[in-house]
Amino acid sequence: MQPIMVGANIVKSFGAGTERRNVLDGVSVRINAGEFVAIMGPSGSGKSTLLFALSGMDSIDSGSIMFDGVDLARLSDNELADLRRRKMGFVFQQPTLLRNLNVLDNIMLPSMRDNRKNVAQIRAKAKALMQQTAIEELETREITQASGGQLQRVGICRALMSDPQMIFGDEPTGALNSSSANEIMALLADIHRTGTSILLVTHDVSVAAQTERVLFIFDGQIAGEYRPGPYDAARDDLKTRAEALTVWLATMQF
Amino acid sequence: MYYRIIRNDIRRNKAVTLTTMLFVAAAALLVALAAILVVNLVGALDTLMTRAKTPHFMQMHAGELDQDRMATFVAQNDAIAAFQVLEFLNVDGAQLVFPTRSLAGSMQDNGFAVQGEHFDYLLDLDGNIIQVADGELYVPLTYMQDGTARVGDTVRVAGHTFIVAGPLRDSQMQPMLSSSKRFLVSTNDFAALKPFGNVEYLIEFRLHDMDGLGAFASAYTAAGLEANGPTLTYPLFRLVNGLSDGLMIAVILLLSALVLAIAFLCIRFTLLAKIEDDYREIGVMKAIGLRVGDIKQIYLASYAALAAAGCLLGLGLSLVFHDPLLANIRLYMGASANAALAPLLGMISVLLVFLAILMYVQHVLNRFRQISPAEAMRFGGAQEQSSGGKYFRLSVNKLLGVNLFLGMKDVLARKTLYATMLTVLVLATFMTIVPQNLYHTIAAKSFITYMGVGNSDLRLDLQQTDNISGKAADIAAVMEHDDAIARFGVLTTKTFHARLADGAEQPLLVELGDHTLFPLTYAAGRAPVADDEIALSVLNADDLGLTVGAVLPVLIAGQERALTVCGIYSDVTNGGKTAKAAFTDADAATMWSVISAELVDPSLVDATVAAYADQFTFAKVTGLEGYITQTYGATIRAIGQAALVAAGVALTLSVLITLLFMRMLVAKDRYAIAVMKAFGFTNADIQAQYLARSVCILSIGIVLGTLLANTLGEALAGAVIGSFGATSFAFVINPWLAYLLSPLLMGVATLGATIAGVWDAGQISIAEHIKE
Ligand SMILES: Nc1ncnc2c1ncn2[C@@H]1O[C@H](COP(=O)(O)OP(=O)(O)O)[C@@H](O)[C@H]1O
Ligand SMILES: [Mg+2]
Repeated sequence: MQPIMVGANIVKSFGAGTERRNVLDGVSVRINAGEFVAIMGPSGSGKSTLLFALSGMDSIDSGSIMFDGVDLARLSDNELADLRRRKMGFVFQQPTLLRNLNVLDNIMLPSMRDNRKNVAQIRAKAKALMQQTAIEELETREITQASGGQLQRVGICRALMSDPQMIFGDEPTGALNSSSANEIMALLADIHRTGTSILLVTHDVSVAAQTERVLFIFDGQIAGEYRPGPYDAARDDLKTRAEALTVWLATMQF
Repeated sequence: MYYRIIRNDIRRNKAVTLTTMLFVAAAALLVALAAILVVNLVGALDTLMTRAKTPHFMQMHAGELDQDRMATFVAQNDAIAAFQVLEFLNVDGAQLVFPTRSLAGSMQDNGFAVQGEHFDYLLDLDGNIIQVADGELYVPLTYMQDGTARVGDTVRVAGHTFIVAGPLRDSQMQPMLSSSKRFLVSTNDFAALKPFGNVEYLIEFRLHDMDGLGAFASAYTAAGLEANGPTLTYPLFRLVNGLSDGLMIAVILLLSALVLAIAFLCIRFTLLAKIEDDYREIGVMKAIGLRVGDIKQIYLASYAALAAAGCLLGLGLSLVFHDPLLANIRLYMGASANAALAPLLGMISVLLVFLAILMYVQHVLNRFRQISPAEAMRFGGAQEQSSGGKYFRLSVNKLLGVNLFLGMKDVLARKTLYATMLTVLVLATFMTIVPQNLYHTIAAKSFITYMGVGNSDLRLDLQQTDNISGKAADIAAVMEHDDAIARFGVLTTKTFHARLADGAEQPLLVELGDHTLFPLTYAAGRAPVADDEIALSVLNADDLGLTVGAVLPVLIAGQERALTVCGIYSDVTNGGKTAKAAFTDADAATMWSVISAELVDPSLVDATVAAYADQFTFAKVTGLEGYITQTYGATIRAIGQAALVAAGVALTLSVLITLLFMRMLVAKDRYAIAVMKAFGFTNADIQAQYLARSVCILSIGIVLGTLLANTLGEALAGAVIGSFGATSFAFVINPWLAYLLSPLLMGVATLGATIAGVWDAGQISIAEHIKE
């Protein structure tokens, strides 16, 4: 299996003087191309910090991060930005959208940065994605005129516009009720089936149970790894998978 | 509790708070200065004119004076409190030789006078009536100030020598604008000098009651007394004395209004930004049942503290700065009787500024009412009315780059916020262009056509001499054959009588000749061409109650002829009451003649002036350029400097406000910037977006400012010029400066400030703003 992302011995600290402490304390992760991985762990254990570090949005103190065969440390700010725009996609807990722009414009924005000449093509793609995520009726709405679950789909559409190799999600279902959360997870599963790698931070067991592999982070270190294997909604019973995961998490003192 | 909130506020926004406070301080300083100057000017002017006992009514007269008839008039008119006739001995400037220079070439009518008998005293610098001894000469303050004379200098006048004993204050002829200057000598010396000059009579009256001035002037005219020369009154002396300092005060007032407006804008801007920042908290406070009034109190308190600090600072500075500004008033007019009042009035005006600021803050804070707790807590920010930007969509945009698009979109979406910066830029553009245009207009040679003088290269004045028409004809004959003269015209002023509506006759000075040769700028109508047309000066038209098209019967060669008023023009020459016509007349008495000429090569003016002055010693020969420099030179220079200062202030202001504005925008936009960076926008992209916003505002601002400058600004400048007596007014514009250099400078400065303000806009940590 080809790895898409390899992080080795990542150390990241916050604070100064005696307050200083390592939030990531020698973390190593390896994610294969096309893999669907969840990161779990208690609040404040460093999940988000790891995700931001791996995607090049935050600096690290030591260690190395390779994405698609490229060492992130060798890239300039601008090259990192290009990388995020062309090969990565992001979904956060809160809908991180620009208030000035309506729904369609928010989705199209990053792609327009590079080839605005193809506006018709980009628009067509955005509309197709909106249809796929069942939010086509939001097209001309302002973002204040949509529900939280709808906005999260808007975020997913935006993330998919560049056909990214990898999608990062920081608790994308964290602010949603369970039925909305399940719809989002179904969407992510669809995306995963097309071969896109996904790294998902979550504290929701039934969300994590739908991934292939769960990393448990505790106190800035990877404390354990659990492999429920690929999930097929038609075949597998989610409840059983979730219960098994809960049992494992209990051994991790979660 | 208020104290803590204020302290935290200031700590968080040091730069913004400080800048706002400085603008408040500057506004307070200027307002206080204006108040202090007004009090001192009015007071000093009163003191000077009271001590000098300035005449209430004065008729200048060149020619014979019928003493008996005058005495009869005085005896029969009980409005008169005092009466005297002073002699003003007009001598050629070349006859007055100071150690450094003679007064040859001076545009002022320099002459000698003795101390007034009953009033119209010439004062020393302590405000006392000068007692002059034989051989002593007291010199107008202006000539001491410009270094022409010093105390102790020996002055030669037509073979007599005098010692300069000191400067004198003249309550009626002091300013450069009044074109005569009186030197004080003893009665004996005056008698000795008399053969060397022309005597002009100053027929002076003091009245019991100034309210009766108008009636008295009519009575004087009706009595048909000596009137060959301008008539001047107490209010006019006051006006002319106060004009230059008054103009300075007007400029300061204008500036203070501008700075106050900017202080208001700063406050509005920081307050709006703050309200937006605190939106959620305000919503929460409202939700938990605090009343709008309570919340307003908190904000009001911090701005009250800021305004108070600024006002106190401004007031303090005004006490330091008022001395140099008062120096001129003190020197020319002396101390003010109510000087102690000045700081008090300064304080009161600063208090008014303070209250105005508080009221304004109250007004802005009324926005609180529009905040809905539900919306505030759900979205954590104001839902701005983005109606204008709604149909401006990325998804249908092919033209603009994404960054340009985002910049413009932001401007459209947050109009209220950007309106502030726009206003500043419009004001700044206005402030750069208007004074500049004003300067070019006044400095242009054509400007004198607003003042009642035709635009020629040189002129010869024939006055106070006999056989004027014969001499004028001589000069015309010479000019006819002079190859250096391109064209010339003779205008002769004669006295006629106009028939008033009530049947009475009133003397009317009419300048006859071809008025299309060196035309004036007419406030209404045009120059007289036909025999039955007459143009009137504004003062005359007002006096006679006539407008263009009206008919004025005039007695010409013993016959009454109805002349149609064809034009009205502004005039500051000869007391401002003049008329112009094109008919010919051989009957009426000639008062004076003016011969104007245009040269083939205007650069030869000086040589030509010298040649004609040599050949025709009886004429006063002047180059127009020189006439303008001497009469208005100081004013023109001052306005030129003011224009430069205004442009500098405007530029500094735009840079400062832009810088401030951009810093605040960047601070407010941190979240949006982090989002864009997370999705792959580079630092350069972010900067480009801010630059696009700036360019957007800047171009609108410059266009609007320029438009306003040429409409409102022209009208405003017209009002200022109007105070000099000119009415119709149009800017003379230097397009390179007004339409290219100024906007360019403004653009470069503002864009530079934008770049400086946003250079680190993209350098924020994404994680810090998005990570949860
Ligand atoms: N910018 C920061 N400065 C200081 N401490 C931080 C910062 N970001 C995160 N931390 C600390 O690092 C720890 C891990 O944070 P985070 O990765 O957000 O945890 P979580 O696992 O809940 O996502 C927390 O204790 C948090 O207080
Ligand atoms: Mg987190």
